[in-house]
Amino acid sequence: MGGFEWGCLFFARPPVYLQQAGDKPIPYLRGIRVGQVQNNSRKMIWTIGGGKGGSGKSFITANLGICLSKLGERVVLIDADLGGANLHTFLGISPPVLSLSDFIKKRVSHLREVLIPTSTPNLQLLTGAQDLLNAADSKSVQKRKLIRSIQSLDNNTVLVDLGAGNSCSVLDFFLMSDGGILVVTPEPTSIENTYRFLKSAFYRRLKQSVSSSSVKDLIDSAMDRKNEMGIQNPYDLIKAVRRVDEGDAQRMLEETKTFHPNLILNQVRSKKDIEIGFSIRSACLKYFGIHLHYLGYVVYDQDVSNSIRRRRPLVLENPKSRAAQCIMEIASKLANRP
Amino acid sequence: MHHGDRFQISESSIEDDSSLTDPSMRPIKDQTYYEILEVSPTATAKEIQRAYEHAKETFHADSMAVYSLFSEEEVEEIQKAIEEAFQVLMDETSRRSYDQSHFQTVGSQLPERPSEPPGGSKEKKPSLSFTGLSFNVEDGPYRGKALKQIREKMGIELQAISKETKINIKILESIEEEVSEKLPALVYLKGFLKNYAQSLGLNPQKVIEEYIHSLEELKKK
Repeated sequence: MGGFEWGCLFFARPPVYLQQAGDKPIPYLRGIRVGQVQNNSRKMIWTIGGGKGGSGKSFITANLGICLSKLGERVVLIDADLGGANLHTFLGISPPVLSLSDFIKKRVSHLREVLIPTSTPNLQLLTGAQDLLNAADSKSVQKRKLIRSIQSLDNNTVLVDLGAGNSCSVLDFFLMSDGGILVVTPEPTSIENTYRFLKSAFYRRLKQSVSSSSVKDLIDSAMDRKNEMGIQNPYDLIKAVRRVDEGDAQRMLEETKTFHPNLILNQVRSKKDIEIGFSIRSACLKYFGIHLHYLGYVVYDQDVSNSIRRRRPLVLENPKSRAAQCIMEIASKLANRP
Repeated sequence: MHHGDRFQISESSIEDDSSLTDPSMRPIKDQTYYEILEVSPTATAKEIQRAYEHAKETFHADSMAVYSLFSEEEVEEIQKAIEEAFQVLMDETSRRSYDQSHFQTVGSQLPERPSEPPGGSKEKKPSLSFTGLSFNVEDGPYRGKALKQIREKMGIELQAISKETKINIKILESIEEEVSEKLPALVYLKGFLKNYAQSLGLNPQKVIEEYIHSLEELKKK
């Protein structure tokens, strides 16, 4: 259930793993030793997408990346924002000269040659992925090839900033990753867009899992709520698919069980806002039958705006700020996930 | 929002407790009352009450979390289901009767609920499902290693205790290993032991007394 307890001093002190016996709270990040987290050898690719433009995806990607590298992960950030690729600005570096297209056009021989170092050790940036996602001929094979190249890198964590929008390429990237993260603000417009994105991703995933072309057509039709078959929700869809192909219906149920997107609520201003994250989780369970994982929330904080203006990542500029603490908390959850 | 505002939430409360229910792809009318309220069949009355309040908040007519996903009719259907589930599960007799008819129908075992003390003082945080204990937690004496054994028998990670109690994991380790030189001052230790004991559902007073006693014995040696 969506259990919650108010009143604990979550923001009043740093995460427990940063405290020492009897110590006063220590400054964020500075006290972290490399290798404090579980050292999973498996590479994790997280994609950050969904929601509206301006919900803070790039800000969260950049700062999560820094926190994860401070926690001992070797991190690559990939800027694949179609609308406006500016992850470099959040990291405080100039627009990069090298990009993914240099690798695709074989001007460099290996993907690692287009990785741009940042001021944070173990944190590199790859830009230009938007070209691939945006390209008319960006077939699934190409995207898989890119993912394979990314997986061959000597890094164990990859964060991909997908930006807003729900084009097929963006959805595929979201679905191909090990974990999709939705960044939402507690506003109707942001939540509405996120549901739209989630519905597109969910139905696309279901479509990819089935073999019958008539079932694929059925799924396409179900995307339109005013469809002629009267399919209003995923339950109706499964029921309709059962009549066509029982095997495909079973496969869709299996897909539903294993689809666990993650949620970060950004710019929360009250405990009521925090509760919205739990409500979104419950709504997704009731509507899609999927378990959304509420990773955490980031408080609205003027320090965020200040750090962006100064082109300095918040978690480096002001690690004690409440928003930075929230991001650190989320990073530690990502780093320690099985 | 001012910096002094306190709308903090427990870190441990944002946990993936999805294992509690699995109503995957079943319409609301086919879900159990427990699934509708997103609680375990072993949930206490207080947990059900809290889940009901959350469900009502989520599925009220103006909720921004549902209006773009569900039609008005669907929201009304869910609201009715929530009310019905709450009415049945909050009444001990109705709940027992529901459990018997439902769980016998589906051929599974009746859920074994822990006895609930008046006022629900032993209630645990719902994010940490400490239910289904199959041994006598009143066993003592409560030395560090005994506490560790009890915790492990419950299948609870030390990290989970740390999250729930907000006690540094290193301190918890020192308590379990009885590393006296690493333990905090007595007044703090008592506080930590109290929270640790509560999180395991043990008698805090008994744990403190016996732990301190065993520590003193250890120092004499």
